[in-house]
Amino acid sequence: MMMLQHGSTQLLCLTASSGVPLFTRGASKQLPFSVIGSLNGVHMFGAGQGVELSCCETEGGGKVVWRVFQDSVMLIAVSGGGRGGAGVGKAEELRLRRLLENAWSCMVLVLGQDELTDVRNVERLKRDLRSCFTLVDQLLEDRQEGILGNLTHCVDSLLPPDPTILQEAVDGFAQAAESEFGCLLVRGRVASATEKWWRLAPQEVVLLSALMRTLSASGSASCDYPVFLPKGSPTVAHRLLRFQLLPGADVCVLCGPTPSLHKAESRLVGAFWTPLAETLRGCLAIGEQCLPGSVSLRPDLLAVLLINRETRRSVSLVRPSTAHPLGDSPSKARCWELLRLFYVFSTTHYFTQEETSSASPEERPQRGHNEDFVLGFSHQPLQCYLVTDECKSFGLQTPQHQLFLLVPPSVPSFALRTLATQTLSDIVAATGF
Amino acid sequence: MMFNVSADGGSFSENLDDFDSIRSVLLYSDLEPEWLDDIQKNGELFYLELSDGEEEAALAQAAGQGVSTNHVRFSEETAEVITEQNNSKKKKKKKKNPQPCGSQGNGEPTLKRLARILRRKRRPSPQREGGGRDGDGKDGGKDASTSSPPASILKNQPGQRPGVTVPQQQQQLKEVCVYLNPKRLGGPSTPLSQGGGLLEALLGVVHRASWSRSREERLTVCGFVPNGPAAKCGQILIGDVLVAVDDVDVTSENIERVLSCIPGPTQVRLTLETAPQVGDASPGRRTKASSPPVSQLVRLLWGEDTAELQMSIGHVPHIAMFLSLKLDSASPQEEEEILYQYPASEASGQLKGVRGIFLTLCDMLENVTGGRILSSSLLLGKRLVHVGYWKEGGYLLVIGLPADRVPLLYLQTVVGDVVRTLKVMYGSLDKAFRDEDHAPRLDHFFCLFFQQLIQPLRLRDGASATAADVSGTLFLDGLPAVRWLTLPPEIKMEVETVLSDFESSDFGEMSEDFFGLRRLYLILGSCLFYKSYLIANHLPKEDLLDVCLYCQHYCLLPLASEQRVGQLVIWREVFPQQRANSSSTTPGYSLPEGRHFLLIVGLRHFMQCVLLEAGGCASPALGSTGPDCVYVDQVKATLLQLEVLEAGIEERLNAPPTPCLSCADWFLPAASSASPVFSKLAGAVKGSSSSRSRGRSLFGEKARRSSPQRSLADSGSDGQTDAGSGSFSSTAPGLSPHSTPDSARKLGGRRDSLGSGGSDGSGGSGGLFKIPRMKHPNPFYLGTLKKTLTEREAEEMYNTTKLTSGAENTLFHYVLMETVQGIFIAPTHREVAQLSGSIHPQLIRNFHHCCLSIRAAFQQSLPAKGRRPVDRPRGGGWGLGPVKEQGVLFQCKPENWTDQRKPAPTMTYWVIGRMLLEPVPQEFYVCFHDSVAEVPVEMAFRLSFGLAL
Repeated sequence: MMMLQHGSTQLLCLTASSGVPLFTRGASKQLPFSVIGSLNGVHMFGAGQGVELSCCETEGGGKVVWRVFQDSVMLIAVSGGGRGGAGVGKAEELRLRRLLENAWSCMVLVLGQDELTDVRNVERLKRDLRSCFTLVDQLLEDRQEGILGNLTHCVDSLLPPDPTILQEAVDGFAQAAESEFGCLLVRGRVASATEKWWRLAPQEVVLLSALMRTLSASGSASCDYPVFLPKGSPTVAHRLLRFQLLPGADVCVLCGPTPSLHKAESRLVGAFWTPLAETLRGCLAIGEQCLPGSVSLRPDLLAVLLINRETRRSVSLVRPSTAHPLGDSPSKARCWELLRLFYVFSTTHYFTQEETSSASPEERPQRGHNEDFVLGFSHQPLQCYLVTDECKSFGLQTPQHQLFLLVPPSVPSFALRTLATQTLSDIVAATGF
Repeated sequence: MMFNVSADGGSFSENLDDFDSIRSVLLYSDLEPEWLDDIQKNGELFYLELSDGEEEAALAQAAGQGVSTNHVRFSEETAEVITEQNNSKKKKKKKKNPQPCGSQGNGEPTLKRLARILRRKRRPSPQREGGGRDGDGKDGGKDASTSSPPASILKNQPGQRPGVTVPQQQQQLKEVCVYLNPKRLGGPSTPLSQGGGLLEALLGVVHRASWSRSREERLTVCGFVPNGPAAKCGQILIGDVLVAVDDVDVTSENIERVLSCIPGPTQVRLTLETAPQVGDASPGRRTKASSPPVSQLVRLLWGEDTAELQMSIGHVPHIAMFLSLKLDSASPQEEEEILYQYPASEASGQLKGVRGIFLTLCDMLENVTGGRILSSSLLLGKRLVHVGYWKEGGYLLVIGLPADRVPLLYLQTVVGDVVRTLKVMYGSLDKAFRDEDHAPRLDHFFCLFFQQLIQPLRLRDGASATAADVSGTLFLDGLPAVRWLTLPPEIKMEVETVLSDFESSDFGEMSEDFFGLRRLYLILGSCLFYKSYLIANHLPKEDLLDVCLYCQHYCLLPLASEQRVGQLVIWREVFPQQRANSSSTTPGYSLPEGRHFLLIVGLRHFMQCVLLEAGGCASPALGSTGPDCVYVDQVKATLLQLEVLEAGIEERLNAPPTPCLSCADWFLPAASSASPVFSKLAGAVKGSSSSRSRGRSLFGEKARRSSPQRSLADSGSDGQTDAGSGSFSSTAPGLSPHSTPDSARKLGGRRDSLGSGGSDGSGGSGGLFKIPRMKHPNPFYLGTLKKTLTEREAEEMYNTTKLTSGAENTLFHYVLMETVQGIFIAPTHREVAQLSGSIHPQLIRNFHHCCLSIRAAFQQSLPAKGRRPVDRPRGGGWGLGPVKEQGVLFQCKPENWTDQRKPAPTMTYWVIGRMLLEPVPQEFYVCFHDSVAEVPVEMAFRLSFGLAL
């Protein structure tokens, strides 16, 4: 008998000093208090002896990962086993590590760092933390199709057919709202944003996108939400103004005390965005393909993930399975899953992970653990592929890009490389990504 | 006898007659085997004697240093008087003054008493040293009358040389001059070890900082770096305190600064404070101050010197603990749950301190995630440590290793192998750890284990350069297979026949049948190694793996590959896992319940492992059974018989690699002929050609000629030496001096057609290389073949032995594992050494590192069985699914590219792993240049033709 179901993940949050549980999310059944206490206890015991427990693996791919943030909050992620298969151990560890980082960032985003590091009233903190549950839950589920930013820490983007018009509109709108940070989201992905927005830490942009998705899922047409930026301003809150332009298309700005939500909504939104309704519809029509119609991809691609390592943006897509008359190709959901797994496999085994430029010194050693194997190579890995029963996966790394592909098993292995380089050059040539 | 296969049949049968006589000599001689005294109370034997050549070399080296007192006898007992009869092959050694095996009173392994080298020839009584550790015991009293009281090896350095005074009073200062060369720091032999700094790298003194980290600390000499200046001078003793360097006072705080001020090669004067003379000779400090002429590995196997070796990795956190999960709460005692622990260093003490974590996690996580705990990662200071778990019954084995040595991916394999080795040796973990008597043996076991993983280079100083390949060792040792050497059919048949002959147990007059007795042992099978390659196997796969794990753990295979083993006899009871576990797999048949014994006999490069069964159809063994002389002698006779074939096997080892291999350096476009790559290459060639037997120096010449400037510059001297070696190769192609003249003539004759080309062929190859369209020297286009074969024939042979497709040979390296038979093939060490180059060794290291991850993925996709028989839940649909093939493309650049104007040339190559289930389960790993697209399945198929057993 086991307490955690296969494939489910539970996130535990406690105060680091006293071990008081703050919240538990994920999994249908909460772990008993004694287990939570022991998990926290072993870490505390080790810390007292100068040994920092970092992670644990069990048979069948179960994992536990510990991390203390700012000496104040302890986050523990426990994942049940049942995920057999290649490279699961390392991949699962990376997933959980990212989960802990993201969960902490979420808490800072919503509550600000001061309230978390300087705990005066635990009961009040518990109550306050409830407000970030929706966001944390979204991270935990992590099954949202087409969104890989939580894992890659690169911003999920959508490349619109006519980027300049949208760019001008976003710039103008942000300026009018007395802000330098503006962004247009289409189907949860960034279609266009001001230059300053891109200068935010990639992790923040990913998180803000996630926040926008939850806000827009709530169904309101507009909202005014106070946010702390985990890297940029963890102690001073900004206002996030969000307006729904069309179902699936949202625009937001980060601004100071002015303008008021009402003023912005009534005066600015209509003025800037009404003329662009058709353009926005065009973007929505691209849907989850993320690429304008001008890019013609080879028909035998199942899924693509392209990362720009400099701008830290990513484009990902899974082809509708109708494109493949052969019945043996995996389903769309499975393709997303495979793409996610292959990305993690490649980055934990061969490619270097994207460094978060804003990684604080204390995070660096943590990051180092994952890369100890990668650092063991005396030569630089450039490409890698995997052949499994379901599909073939190919990864490619250049100084500027990382490309990950899934193709059906029927494609010969030696053709993969040509296919990948061609796909990369096609997309880059057509969109300048 | 049926050995008339080869062209002139007389030689073998004659030899056989010889060997029959050897057999009888061995059997009838009343000579007592020299290992007899080393048998332990429980019947186990581990006897290792280096060959005469090694001893002489060691003596010569020592004599050159002129420090005669540095030769410490590696014996724990008092002196043995040994004389020798030196009559060619049948040389026997006999101890006239055999000591009863002493020191069993305190449970020390007999390994300690095995040393037999470094005695001076014809010197009736070598000086009596050693002792010390076995103060008690029944033999102590007897010895006391004849020998001086045990003294520390360290402290009986006579002060006979001028300028050296080793005063008898306490805390005396002495001055020692040593020659230091900071320029040599960059060399590969003196790695700037972590923590040791210049003190270790430059001076060769190991100082272990105390944990308290006081800023100023006295520099106590804790050990020496082998062959370092401090060890070589022979006047610095362990325990001394370094007070000043050239009259500058030094402490741990400023020593690095002081030493770094030494600009170039110079002599410095060290002032040392010698430690108290007596009372400090604790056994743990019993280390030698001399530079060891014998490799550390041999000394470790002998049980010597573990303290110093262990001390040098004391700062590296590592631990092995056997913990009890069931605690008797009624009588709580301190550290009661620790049944066994090794080592006792400070870094491991920290791990021991947190054993509560391991116990708690082991207990709790099984309930949480539904699977047993496999590993944890911990941070000790800045150092990441992986801890592997093995839970069995109510006990938990915990092994902690630094992450930079063993990646997490492969930790499970390493732990699994240790557990299996322990089970083979002791039957079960429970029996291994809970018997108090086993503790010293386990200490030795884990000392070997950690030394091999943490400082493999130190163990094999003077061995091949590939020893630096940590991933390679991990990968190849972790494969459930043994390295196989394919042999020409006629040699193979002879080997098999000789082995079968032996296994038939038809020992003639010596067999039990002859006397109408029941057999003592049934020979279940045997396997034969030559220079660490398996060349014949008559054991079932699982038994072979068991035997091989034991050999790997005790480093017997690398030992035999150097010219080191004079005689090796190992006897112990083993518990083959297949036989122990399979209760009733086949209905109607069950394996007989008997006891099993492993007998390993090594003579020079040959090593034979025999698995014996007592009980069943042989007579049951009672109590602790020691080795039986007849069986040992029979194996020895078999090995002597096989030595005739050594020349043939050597020839196979010297043959050009099949399939052909290319060197990575050839594919890097050389920008200028004076590039560092080439000078390095030439240096490497020089080194390798002297180290290997001088059969073929064709590659060497080729590589040298590939740089025209160079050959112009020093063609005079170099060319002549090359020609010299070439002509040498035609007369005596890698023949061992021990083989009989008959076979030498025969083999020489056989090689004549090829061999005569040895000298003039080199000229041909040089000319060939000047043809501009040949971009790379191709190892198969040997001048010799060009001369003797027609073009078409050469082309045909070329095609059959080339694994890759396309016009050029692009294959760099490969490993093919036959899962069913438990063997794998890979290019031989010599083939790799011949390719030399500067990039190539890097490439192979990288290849092995990559194979680690590829194989880890394969293992996870396989249904769990074999090494770790556990019920791994197979969650279908999760993960990436079973991986069949995996490939990685690497890019490499020459090191130290100084040319600023041009970008460094690059070379890209694939490392591909493929798991095949049909027609036979195989795993194939290959590394080739990226210019040609390959289908790994086809390559594996082509390669496996060469693997016919």
